[in-house]
Amino acid sequence: MLVQHLTKGLVIASLLTLITACLLGSTPLGPDRVILALFGAGAPGDAVVIWQIRLPRALAAYVVGAALGLSGAALQGLLRNPLAEPGVLGVTASAALGATFVLYYGLVSLSAWVLPIAAISGALLATTIIAIAAIRVQSVITLILIGVGLSSFSAAMMSLLMNLAPNPFALSDILNWMLGSVANRSFNDLYFAAPFLAAGCGILLATRNGLSALTLGEEAASGIGLDLRRQRIFVIIGTGLLTGAAVSIAGAIGFIGIIVPHIVRPLLRHDPAMSLLPSALLAGIALVLADILVRTIPTASELKLGVVMALIGAPLFVWIAMRGQARND
Amino acid sequence: MTKLAASNLSVQTHDSRLLDKASIMVQSGELVVLLGPNGAGKTTLLRVMTGLLKPTSGAVSLDGQPLSDLTPMQRARKIAYLPQSRPLAWPSRVIDVVTLGRFSHGSSIGNLSQDDQAAVDVAIEACDLKALRQRRCDTLSGGELARVHCARAFATNAPLLIADEPVAALDPKHQFRIMDLIKHYVSKGGGALVVLHDIRLAATYADRLVWMKDGSITADGPAGTTLTVKQMAETFGVNARIDGTNIMIDGSID
Repeated sequence: MLVQHLTKGLVIASLLTLITACLLGSTPLGPDRVILALFGAGAPGDAVVIWQIRLPRALAAYVVGAALGLSGAALQGLLRNPLAEPGVLGVTASAALGATFVLYYGLVSLSAWVLPIAAISGALLATTIIAIAAIRVQSVITLILIGVGLSSFSAAMMSLLMNLAPNPFALSDILNWMLGSVANRSFNDLYFAAPFLAAGCGILLATRNGLSALTLGEEAASGIGLDLRRQRIFVIIGTGLLTGAAVSIAGAIGFIGIIVPHIVRPLLRHDPAMSLLPSALLAGIALVLADILVRTIPTASELKLGVVMALIGAPLFVWIAMRGQARND
Repeated sequence: MTKLAASNLSVQTHDSRLLDKASIMVQSGELVVLLGPNGAGKTTLLRVMTGLLKPTSGAVSLDGQPLSDLTPMQRARKIAYLPQSRPLAWPSRVIDVVTLGRFSHGSSIGNLSQDDQAAVDVAIEACDLKALRQRRCDTLSGGELARVHCARAFATNAPLLIADEPVAALDPKHQFRIMDLIKHYVSKGGGALVVLHDIRLAATYADRLVWMKDGSITADGPAGTTLTVKQMAETFGVNARIDGTNIMIDGSID
C-alpha cells in the first residue's frame, strides 16, 4: 500500500538527513571522520563535536519537528480543518508560558522533570480550552481567533513575568522561548522529554482511525460508532503531551504542523489517519533541514529556527486560508 | 428480526420540550416514514433512537435490550444512521467514504477484511457507484453524493437504517432513486425509519406513516388510514385534497 511505501521512504530519508546534519558545521569534518566518531572511534575532539553538539542538536530538531507535525495532523483531523495547528491555536505559546514560568521562578532547579511538565501543563490547558470551545462553536475561524487570544495572553504574561520575576534573566532567554531554537541542546534535554513524546505519539497513533471517521462530520462519525468524547480527550492529551514536550526542548516553533500535513495529505487520499505517521516523519526531516540552513547561513548572530519556520510557514498559512480550503461548516 | 422500540421519550432542554412522551417502533421488513412540520422534533427523535442523544425520560430498546447498554460500536453495527447534514471534511474518494461504513466492524481505510471488502462492493454496486469509485467527492453532483452517503450507510450491513431527510435538495428523479434504494434495502429484510417532507413520496413508499407535531406523535399507521385531510390540517396547517396517494395542497390554513 501507498502509505507503507511512503513511510519506508521517509524513514530512510530521515536517517540520511540526520547523517547530513552531522556532516555539516563550522568545524569541517570529512565523512570518514564523522562515521568513525559516530561509532566511538576516531579522534576524541571529533567525538565531542558529533556526540555533544551536532547529533543532539539534529535529533532535537528531528523529534521537535516530528512532534509538531504529528500534533498538527491530529488537530486537523479532529477539527476537520487544514489550518489547525498547535502554533496557530495558541498551544505552543501556552506551553512556552509554562516553561518560562518555572524558569523565572527558579523551579527548574528542583528537578529536571519540572521544565517538560510545566510546558506540557501549559499545552494541555490550551488544548483543553480549544477542544471545549470546539464543542460549542463549529467555526474554525472562531477557534483560530481563540488561539490568537491564547497566544497574545501568553506573550503578555511572559512580558509580565520578565518584569516581576525575583531573579529575572536576560531578555535573550525569553526570546529563545518565544522564537524557538535547538542550539546547544544536549541528550539530557531529549532524555527528559522522551517519555512524554513517546506517550503522546502512542496515544495519537492508537486512536488515529477515529480521525478518519470524523471525515464524515461529528454527527455521522458518532453514527458509525465513534465515541466522540473519548476521541476528543485522546487528541487533547496526545497533542498536549507532544507539543508541550517539543516546546520544553526547543521553545515555540510554529507552522511546521500546517505545512507538512498539507503536503502529505493529498498523497494519501486525504485520509487523516494514514497521514499521521508520514506527517511526523516529514516534519522531522523538514525541521532538521531548516536547522541546517540556520547553522550554515553566514549571519553575524545565528538565526532562530522558529523565525525561519515562520518566514516559510506564515505565507503558506495565508495561501491555504485564501484558497478557501477551510471548509469546516 | 430486529426491532427498535422507543417508549414515552421526552427530551427537555432548559427552556423547551423537544419531545413529549413519544413512542415509536420500527422493525425488520418495514419502511416507516416520519412526517411533521419543521421544529416538530423529528431529528431529536431520530437522534434519541440512534443513541446519540440521551432522553430526559423514557427508554429505547433494541430487541428488548436497553440501547444505552450497547457500546457505540455495537450500536453502530445494528443501526446505520444518515444524518441530515453530511459535510465531508476532506476531498475524499468515493470508495474511502463508503469504506467508513465498515468502521464499526473495526476496519479502516486501506485495511479491510474480506467481509468488509465484500460489503463495500455490494453497497457500491447497489447504489450504482461503480464508475465513480475513485472519484473525489468534491467533484460529485448532489445526487451522486447522496448515493455515496446511502452506500456508506448500506455498507455497514446493519439490520436497521435511520435516515434524516435523505432526499432533501435532490431533483425528483434522484428523490425516487434514493427512495428506491431504501425500498430495496427493506425488501431484503432491513428496517428503515426515514424523515421525509414530501407527503406524496412518503405515501408512495411507506409501509407506515408516523405523524409528529410539537414533540408528540399524533398518528401512526398506513397511509390508507392516517393520510387524511384532517391529519394534514392538524399537522401541517394546510388545506389538502387527497385521492389515494395523490395529494393536492391548496395552501395554508389562515
